Amino acid sequence: MTGNGTDEAGDRLALRSRLSDIARLRPWIEGLASRHAIPENVQFAINVCLEEALANAIRHGYGGAPDRPLIVHFTTPSAGYFVFAVDDEAPRFNPLDAPELPPLSPREEIRIGGQGLRLLRRFADSLEYEPTPAGNRLRIGFCAAVPAVRPK
Amino acid sequence: MAIATEELAGGITRVILDGRLDIEGAAAVDLQMNVIAGSRKAVLVDLQKVSFLGSMGLRALVAPARAIKGRGGKIVLFGPNELVEKVLKTSGIDTLIPVHHELQSALAALQ
Repeated sequence: MTGNGTDEAGDRLALRSRLSDIARLRPWIEGLASRHAIPENVQFAINVCLEEALANAIRHGYGGAPDRPLIVHFTTPSAGYFVFAVDDEAPRFNPLDAPELPPLSPREEIRIGGQGLRLLRRFADSLEYEPTPAGNRLRIGFCAAVPAVRPK
Repeated sequence: MAIATEELAGGITRVILDGRLDIEGAAAVDLQMNVIAGSRKAVLVDLQKVSFLGSMGLRALVAPARAIKGRGGKIVLFGPNELVEKVLKTSGIDTLIPVHHELQSALAALQ
C-alpha cells in the first residue's frame, strides 16, 4: 500500500492514520458526487460512514499510531450503486462481528462514542468485511434511487 | 463551521451553529462549546444551519451536554434537518438531549 493522494481517475484516496487526514474526505467525495451524479442524501450517508470507518481504523485498528496507511477505493458496480472499500494494514478485526451497542438511554450516564457501528448499519445499504494479506478491507455500499426509464 | 451566541430572556443562551459538524467543524467549535457548557445553565443549540453531522460532531454536542447536565442545567437541540436528525436518532442522542422543531417548545423546555 503506497502513495499519498488520489489516483489519476480520482477513484482512490490515500490517507495517513491521522484524524486530521479525514478532512480530505469531503472534497474527494464532492468530486466523485459531481462526476457520478451522487444525490445529496447519499453524499451525506457516504460522509457519515466513511468518517466513522476511518476514525475507527485510526483509533482502534492502529491504536492511534500516526502515519500508517489507509486507502479508500471507489467503484460503481452498477448504475446508482456506489461502493467504497476502506483498506488498512491493522491487525485483523471484523467490525461487523462486534456487538452493536444499544442506543443511548436517558437513564445512563452520557457516553461519548460507541455508536459508530449503529451509524454504519443505518446509513449504509451494504457492509462487507474481508481480511486482506496486509490487514482489513471494509466495503460500504450505497444505493441511489435510479429514475425509471420511460418508454418513448 | 461558524458558531455564534445570543442571550435570550430567562437566562437562556442560544448557540447558533452554521456549517458542517464533521471532524473539522467539531474542532472549530469544541473550545467555545466547552466554554459555554462551563458557564451557562440553559442552552439552546440551534442546528437549523447545520448541513452535516457525523460521529465527530456528535461528540461536540454530547460533551457539553454532559457538562451542563452535570451542573444541574438544561440543554436542547433545535431545528435539525431530516438527515441530521436521523444521525441524532440513530445514535440515541435525542433521548439525552431533547430535539425540538418549534422554537417556543424548545424555549419552554429550558424554563
